[in-house]
Amino acid sequence: MAQRTSVQRPSGGGQGKICQFKLVLLGESAVGKSSLVLRFVKGQFHEYQESTIGAAFLTQTVCLDDTTVKFEIWDTAGQERYHSLAPMYYRGAQAAIVVYDITNQDTFGRAKTWVKELQRQASPNIVIALAGNKADLANKRMVEYEEAQTYAEENSLLFMETSAKTAMNVNDIFLAIAKKLPKSDNSATGSQREGMTLRPSDPTPGPAGCCK
Amino acid sequence: MADRRAAGEEGGDGGTNSSTTSQSRLSDVDEYGFQRPPDFDYATYEEFMSRYLTVLARRARKWAHLLGARETVGRGVKLKRYVRKGIPMKHRGKMWLEVSGARQQMSLRPGYYRAMLAGAPLGEEVQEAIRVDLPRTFPDNIHFRQVTQDAQVTQGKLVSLNNVLSAFCRHNAGIGYCQGLNYIAGLLLLVTNDEESSFWLLCVLTDSLLPDYYTSTMVGVLTDTRVMEALVKERCPLVWRHVEHYGLTWDLLVTKWFVCLFAEVLPIETVLRIWDCLFYEGNKVLMRVALALVVTNEAEILKAQDFGDIVKCFKKITQDANAIDCHSFMETVFKVSGSFPRARLAKLRDSCMEQVLAESKK
Ligand SMILES: Nc1nc2c(ncn2[C@@H]2O[C@H](COP(=O)(O)OP(=O)(O)OP(=O)(O)O)[C@@H](O)[C@H]2O)c(=O)[nH]1
Ligand SMILES: [Mg+2]
Repeated sequence: MAQRTSVQRPSGGGQGKICQFKLVLLGESAVGKSSLVLRFVKGQFHEYQESTIGAAFLTQTVCLDDTTVKFEIWDTAGQERYHSLAPMYYRGAQAAIVVYDITNQDTFGRAKTWVKELQRQASPNIVIALAGNKADLANKRMVEYEEAQTYAEENSLLFMETSAKTAMNVNDIFLAIAKKLPKSDNSATGSQREGMTLRPSDPTPGPAGCCK
Repeated sequence: MADRRAAGEEGGDGGTNSSTTSQSRLSDVDEYGFQRPPDFDYATYEEFMSRYLTVLARRARKWAHLLGARETVGRGVKLKRYVRKGIPMKHRGKMWLEVSGARQQMSLRPGYYRAMLAGAPLGEEVQEAIRVDLPRTFPDNIHFRQVTQDAQVTQGKLVSLNNVLSAFCRHNAGIGYCQGLNYIAGLLLLVTNDEESSFWLLCVLTDSLLPDYYTSTMVGVLTDTRVMEALVKERCPLVWRHVEHYGLTWDLLVTKWFVCLFAEVLPIETVLRIWDCLFYEGNKVLMRVALALVVTNEAEILKAQDFGDIVKCFKKITQDANAIDCHSFMETVFKVSGSFPRARLAKLRDSCMEQVLAESKK
């Protein structure tokens, strides 16, 4: 059973800001997008994670200093033919995690294509992170750390190698994104319609490892 | 309640283990092999089952009488009524083949499935896509558990699933493998328990019942979510406005409903009842179900007060007590969706597809 650190409720309405961000996960099928989200949101890992159809929606809350950050996460389907749906998910997203599998060179190529598409079509301020997942399978590595890091630097992306299986860097990458997102009152949420009407209720319990 | 859950969990993971709990007569694995989740609502389900068993017994008698010694039945108002009230599990696989026309195709081309199985190797990409999805299909079903030897899947439904999907890709290279077909083929295998039957049912689905759903652009799915939106706008304008207001689109909410034909969306028993009608009456029933889900849950949806709440609500309404009670659910589906002229639907589809195609060219 994964160890759980429950996420603290923001104390009352007055103190501390609450920000809400939309985040989308993109990447080839089976690189581990759903697994990363499952690890982040529920602290679990399934050897056989069901393939995602369309997209799945989850939320998780983390605390950064005096700010509560609520992520609304779209975990998308990886297969190419679902591509036409992707813009709906990244449109209006403030952050994206583009995932590849370090044991599969093709998935890194696909990740680069996603990054390009985001740079062209997504909101210009979108925070993009690159995740080289399945880092626990280092003996099957096909994508070198340095190669990905150089690419990430050239494109101003956050970059980490992660493992949904061992939990390595999973919370960290979400926290790094949370840190990078603008948290001033008026820029925090994407759609004005939503405003800042987040009630400080029911933060999903999870291992997000904040407020420690 | 909590006790039951704990007991349910204990029996977990064993696979073949179907121990019952002291308070619930129900096993933690359902009759199709699906592991009930730890938070499974045994109380609601048992309450429903106690009523549904009577229905099932009555339907079994009626069907036995209808079929007599025959294997086939003629189409007609009576059969339609019977199908809408549910095909007994005992006859389900055979009847699906019968009423969908799959049996006819199968008998016209004996040996075809074998030939497709033994055909030329598939392209590497397709093969890989299937291979990756096999263990990710119904991992919560005991029949779909991996039995591997030297990294080769050696027995059980996963072998059959691999066979059916590979044969299908050879038969219909234009479609190839589309994620979602794994769940559909998997469910067909659970019901028919036969690869060849599952193959031909899959062919009927993709060739005639749902043309354009699983093609490389999935234009059929994109079209039908739009058709659904148009129908919701017409019949449930408040919900339509609500969804619009929070910046959601219908594709985000219901793509999986259509891609999976409600498999992995609604409870299994309910899905099978929908598929009974799908194979007999055609794809219109999918639209009826989708619409009924929205109409009957209007108040619930309108209560959701932000983007995330609405998405979660659309998930909840597919799993609540109403969705579990498949018999009442299907009655409601036909009552709520009412008269639904085929011509009207066809026209709506044409105009929606035109929009989709126009937008994809941009
Ligand atoms: N060893 C290892 N396996 C992983 C890791 N992350 C995911 N997996 C496995 O890789 C497979 C695919 O993971 P998913 O999370 O379903 O991949 P996905 O990107 O969501 O795939 P789609 O839904 O098809 O787009 C699953 O069987 C996981 O168990 C990891 O960090 N290490
Ligand atoms: Mg996934």
